[in-house]
Amino acid sequence: MRISSPKLTLGIFSIIVGILIASQMKLNVDQITPVTIQSIIAARNELNSVRNEIVDLEKTIAAKEEELRLLESIGEGEANLVDILRDDVYKNKVAAGYTSLKGPGIQIVMFDNMNLEELSFSFNDDIIHDVDILNIINDLKVAGAEAISINDQRVMSYSEIKCGGPIIRINGKSIGTPFIIKAIGDPQLLMAAVNAPGTYGDTLRTVFGIGLQPYAEDEIIIPAYHGDFVYSYAGLLEEGE
Amino acid sequence: MKNKKEIAALIFVSLLLGLILSIQFKTINKSIGGGALPTQRAQELANDLRKAQAEKESQLRLIQELEDKIEQYEKSGIEDDIYAENLYKDAMKYRMLAGYSDMSGPGIVLEINDPPVDIQYGEGFSIVDELDLILQVISVLNAADAEAISINDQRYTAFTEIVRAGNHIEINGVSTSSPIVIKAIGNADTLESALSIKWGIVWQLRNYDYIVNLTQDKNVVIPKYRRVKEFIYASPVEEKLQ
Repeated sequence: MRISSPKLTLGIFSIIVGILIASQMKLNVDQITPVTIQSIIAARNELNSVRNEIVDLEKTIAAKEEELRLLESIGEGEANLVDILRDDVYKNKVAAGYTSLKGPGIQIVMFDNMNLEELSFSFNDDIIHDVDILNIINDLKVAGAEAISINDQRVMSYSEIKCGGPIIRINGKSIGTPFIIKAIGDPQLLMAAVNAPGTYGDTLRTVFGIGLQPYAEDEIIIPAYHGDFVYSYAGLLEEGE
Repeated sequence: MKNKKEIAALIFVSLLLGLILSIQFKTINKSIGGGALPTQRAQELANDLRKAQAEKESQLRLIQELEDKIEQYEKSGIEDDIYAENLYKDAMKYRMLAGYSDMSGPGIVLEINDPPVDIQYGEGFSIVDELDLILQVISVLNAADAEAISINDQRYTAFTEIVRAGNHIEINGVSTSSPIVIKAIGNADTLESALSIKWGIVWQLRNYDYIVNLTQDKNVVIPKYRRVKEFIYASPVEEKLQ
């Protein structure tokens, strides 16, 4: 009895120390977690993006103030509403894609993998799908493309790009390979968006062997949207709804 | 002899305790991300963020005021002038087409939630990793004749980019994150069936464990595009009169 008692006390004390340390640590962890490097980086990223939004909004405000100033000067006889409206129609027509545009940019020629050897697992990997085109277009938009067309079909906000068997449908028209994507913007940025290692375009070319040849050009002409889009369901939002 | 044995045991236990303690500290350090930084910095950032957001709110209000004023001027100007009225209608048409006006109408609302975090493996995955799924949804909606589309209340225009920035998504330069809510105006039945066709995009999303809600709505409201689009490189081709 006398021999086992120090072991017992030791054991009991160890358990108590263990419990104390464990509870102490748990308390501490709760206090530390809110401030980690990760949370600081996340907060900084968020701050940057809000600041970028503010810069964009400032531009919008400047444009609206200019518009308002013009409208107010009607009363002083310096401008008239018809001219202002005509300008407005033209500006929105350009933004909506109803005018042909020209400018520097790049042209990408895309064609299916023509290698006869079977390199990949299925023939599906050798051909261009709608997803590939969608990704390339999105990359071009990220790089600041101002107008994009695929085989002379202007890419609009309501353009569908869908696989339809051996062809791809865009703006209700069928197009086949080779696909010629044109984009107006900073040629260097646009080239980087489809050509730089790690981009979607680079993966398509090097991994799947799909033909993708971008060329920078000094002048590219992108045609206007030819169709007539009619709203049959959507209407203007009425105030006070 | 007995004394020495006891001391040895004590030393052994203390060593073990020390080892366990250091392991515990290391794992904690790892799991919360490399030690705690001064709380001051975090508070600073939080303050800046709050200020920036307040500024954004006030700017949005200012824009709304300016727009109201502009509309008043335009409406009062066209009252007694048929030519101006027609021009105004034309202007509204192209504003709608360019995405510079708020729209409403019947349509669908598609909500994509991230899959629940896997208990066994911990890390889940998010729609942030697979942005081309969003691109496909939009393409399907357009194929089904959608007339206006928004993603998390950002109007989808011809210039709208969807890009990953860290752990969130930037659309029209505005950062958002999951859940993704895509709204579209059009024939609700057509839109719904185009999305939910067997092996279609909603099926694919559900197959990847995303939690998808697809509902029809009689009155979908889609906000306007807020950015001013500046054409720096592109210029209009002069149409030759022949």
